[in-house]
Amino acid sequence: MTLAVSVLLAIPTGYLAAKSAFARRLILPTLDIFQSVPIVGFFPVAVWGFVRLFGGSAFGVELAAVFLIFTSMFWNLAFGVYESLITVPEELRMAADQFGLRGSLRWSHLILPAVVPSLLYNSLVSWANGWFFLIASEIIAVGPARYTLPGLGSYLAQSVTAGHNNLTMLALAVLLATTVGMHLLLWGPLSTWAERFHLEESGDRPRRPRIARILGRSRLVRSASLRVVTPAAQQALRVSGRVLDFLGRHAAGSAAVFFGLAVPVLLGYGGWRLYLLFASRPLAAELKGIPVDLLFSFLRVGLGVLISAAVSVPLANWIVRRVRWRSAALAVIQILASIPATAFFPVVVILLTWGLGMNAGAVLLALTTMFWYVLFNVVGAASAIPKETREAAFAFGLRGPRYLRRVFLPAVLPSLVTGCITAWGAGWNALILCEYLEAGRRVHEVRGIGATLDRATYRTGDMQVVAASLASMVLLIILVNRFFWDPLYQRVAERYKMEA
Amino acid sequence: MPAPVAAESPAVLLRLEGVEQFYGEKIRILGPIDLEVREGEFLSLVGPSGCGKSTLLRIVAGVLRPSAGIVRMGGRPLKGVNTRAAMVFQSFALFPWLTVVDNVAVGLEARGLPLRERLKKAEKYIDLVGLSGYERAFPRELSRGMKQLVGLARALAVEPELLCMDEPFSALDVLTARTIRDLVLDLWESPEVMTKSILLVTHSIEEAVAMSDRVLVLKANPGRIADEVDLRGLPRPRRPDLPHVRETVDRMYSLLA
Repeated sequence: MTLAVSVLLAIPTGYLAAKSAFARRLILPTLDIFQSVPIVGFFPVAVWGFVRLFGGSAFGVELAAVFLIFTSMFWNLAFGVYESLITVPEELRMAADQFGLRGSLRWSHLILPAVVPSLLYNSLVSWANGWFFLIASEIIAVGPARYTLPGLGSYLAQSVTAGHNNLTMLALAVLLATTVGMHLLLWGPLSTWAERFHLEESGDRPRRPRIARILGRSRLVRSASLRVVTPAAQQALRVSGRVLDFLGRHAAGSAAVFFGLAVPVLLGYGGWRLYLLFASRPLAAELKGIPVDLLFSFLRVGLGVLISAAVSVPLANWIVRRVRWRSAALAVIQILASIPATAFFPVVVILLTWGLGMNAGAVLLALTTMFWYVLFNVVGAASAIPKETREAAFAFGLRGPRYLRRVFLPAVLPSLVTGCITAWGAGWNALILCEYLEAGRRVHEVRGIGATLDRATYRTGDMQVVAASLASMVLLIILVNRFFWDPLYQRVAERYKMEA
Repeated sequence: MPAPVAAESPAVLLRLEGVEQFYGEKIRILGPIDLEVREGEFLSLVGPSGCGKSTLLRIVAGVLRPSAGIVRMGGRPLKGVNTRAAMVFQSFALFPWLTVVDNVAVGLEARGLPLRERLKKAEKYIDLVGLSGYERAFPRELSRGMKQLVGLARALAVEPELLCMDEPFSALDVLTARTIRDLVLDLWESPEVMTKSILLVTHSIEEAVAMSDRVLVLKANPGRIADEVDLRGLPRPRRPDLPHVRETVDRMYSLLA
């Protein structure tokens, strides 16, 4: 449900960004920043706000959860829409002009189809992300108050806290079954349907490894696809075309005015509260520790990125080379990846009780979220290496590690960097959750910004510390993005582009 | 067929008066250009790459507004998209998510024709270009030549008074290009097709000589008309190995050099 709302809101946002230069200058930086901000960290703030709004009822918490899940999905989707719209070939857009596609026809025949693949791909990712946040958010506490929403997430969390390993495993199994079921009945057929929306000129475009193509052969998926999902999706396309056209004609102006007013007001109000927070009483002692906390967390995330990259490259090479195993391996990996990382926490907790250090535990936990981003990107790039390039390498005797260094690594480098950037962003999210764990009435924690944030949120309820650690973390992430990842990506993308 | 040589010159369908295109404020990439397409005429624009011939075609189709000058269609100044013209694109520009029949019908749908009529008309033109049986196929399942046939059917289906073709054969192999070229000429002469005026942009002199009544030779920097060659006297069909056809081609090469 939240996903549907995000999708519907993401389309106009991305469309506006692609269409008007003014909107672009406003929207893109916003998306960029929010995409790289760890949403989990904002949970306490959101809960606090919504609970107050609804007079302290659990409904406020429910809304806060939905709101956060929405924000976690929205940025990706809007960005995807923007990117696919600017890559629509010029001739195609001209053809649409020339044959008079205007209004709702233009939406349903040109704009929406062009963004479907990216929307679907990002929805898949968002879906997994949504679970991640759901589990994280169903059980939360703000200061002394504790709110529990009924759901699989809280069940999982409770069983971990209580130390019931059997129940934990049961809950995990249910989650796994749900994930596989969703793949079979919804994502598989949808991907099959969306195949037709890929904009390609020639037949040999690099394809994203898709579980859909393996699943596509099963009868269950095919009938679900033909009878239910495809017609429903086509209908949805037509209806949303009309809705968006209507909105574009009647609501665009008022929406612009609304946002133009709402954003400054909200920012101003937020700033004022923040000022009050810091000015009303002396600074908390914990604030001094924040730089060191940040450093520790930074090292953990960095280590996570390094490990992900180091494992992904040989693994991807191995997967891609074995043609027969490739699809099966990809299917397994994709299902594993769509399990929300939060669900792996119990497993790590069990490891912890067996004597694994919490430092290693935290990194391991973060890895369960980060690793997939890197692996997927690298595998995608690896399967796009032209067969001729590989054959040429072998013909000239490049084998083993030398092949890896001279051909494989340069070919996947741009995607490797993309994957690392995403993993870096996701890592912070995970770290907030995994530097501080409560299991079996014991608290496992390590020094880090996530732990500080959690402690302030759950135990002391000190909003000053919450705000300060959030702000410093966001600042660090943005700085590293600007001055490390962005230039790195630019250089790598330019030098190692696969182009004949 | 010898072109409709009425004693008096036939009515002018399209007229460009002092059309210019600037890049930014100062750099003139095209014009000033004056030209006419007469009714029933097959006019070609030939020139080296960068002479603005595709830009000119986009201006005629009304998808690009010229920086200066007037485009008149049937005497009236053109505002917005030229609904009396239809375009065939170099890289086909088919909608990959629509089937062949939906692609062909897309212009009719935009003109608000009811479903039954639009299918009937689309079928007719799919049949005329020889693609019957492929109505339900998606573009990616077709060869390049077949894709361009869909592009041609889509343009003809709206029954435009002027057919604009932007390098329609240059993304095809030589044999396919020749087949489709002959088909275009057949359709132009056939009573089944309403469209009688064609504006072709090409860089191939052979193509222009094989097809047109009149050829405008363009030069680059800025794009402007350097010469006009009247080919109405050249009998059809113009096989490339006929002496007078080769002679004409040679003469035009020397014009361009």
